[in-house]
Amino acid sequence: MTLLQRLDNFVYATRLDRVLFRQIRPRTLRWTPLFVLAALTVGYVLMAKTVERPDRAFFVGLLLFYGAYMAAGFLRIFGPRFVTTARHPLDEREMTVKMRAYALSGILLVGITMTGCFYLASAGVLGLWQPASPNDWIALGFGVQAAAMLLPTMIASWIEPRALPADD
Amino acid sequence: MRYGGSDGLTSFLYNRIAVFRAERGVSRRQLAEAVGVNNQTIGYLERGDYKPSLELAMKIAAYFAVPIELLFSFQPFEPVADTLRRAAAEGPS
Repeated sequence: MTLLQRLDNFVYATRLDRVLFRQIRPRTLRWTPLFVLAALTVGYVLMAKTVERPDRAFFVGLLLFYGAYMAAGFLRIFGPRFVTTARHPLDEREMTVKMRAYALSGILLVGITMTGCFYLASAGVLGLWQPASPNDWIALGFGVQAAAMLLPTMIASWIEPRALPADD
Repeated sequence: MRYGGSDGLTSFLYNRIAVFRAERGVSRRQLAEAVGVNNQTIGYLERGDYKPSLELAMKIAAYFAVPIELLFSFQPFEPVADTLRRAAAEGPS
């Protein structure tokens, strides 16, 4: 058996094929993205508080933050369908849900970014915390990306009615 | 309570897809494949959670070979039992 055949068998044995070929039944994930967003925030705060003298809390924050970042990527696979495949193209309802979810996420992200800009502009004057170290900025960038991945899944889950039981 | 009619504020689109599907012995999956949508979409349509595009509504009507107004309406459909009772009362024409 060749290496490629072994890898192929591994994919099917571990049921990874269901993820790779997007054969997973879509679910409405209304609350899970909120927990992931909370984990991102807590992780970021823990890292930012101890970035100058990294201790145990810093590494807990690091694990929490990047764990949540990875979870954000995975949740997209298990939530409402956004990606068309050769076997299962998105139909008109799914396209509508996707468009509305992305449009609302865009509006929310613009609002959050604007608020962040205004905060940063005034934080120095008021003596409030602001990102200073490269780690603060890099994690902030990944945090925004994670939010951009999570928000469409969460919004689509609220737009879409609860999934119906398996069909006849 | 849901109100039918196109009053500009609420317009609930009633449909009889489930009735036609049951009468013809067609599964959701079969209908979904025939009209090119996900079978969950047929379920949402039947439940009134989703209003179809004109194209999809016409495809479904064409699949059952009936006029579109027999499947979709802004007014609630008369229950089948009432229709049968009325037909029986009118007698054979």
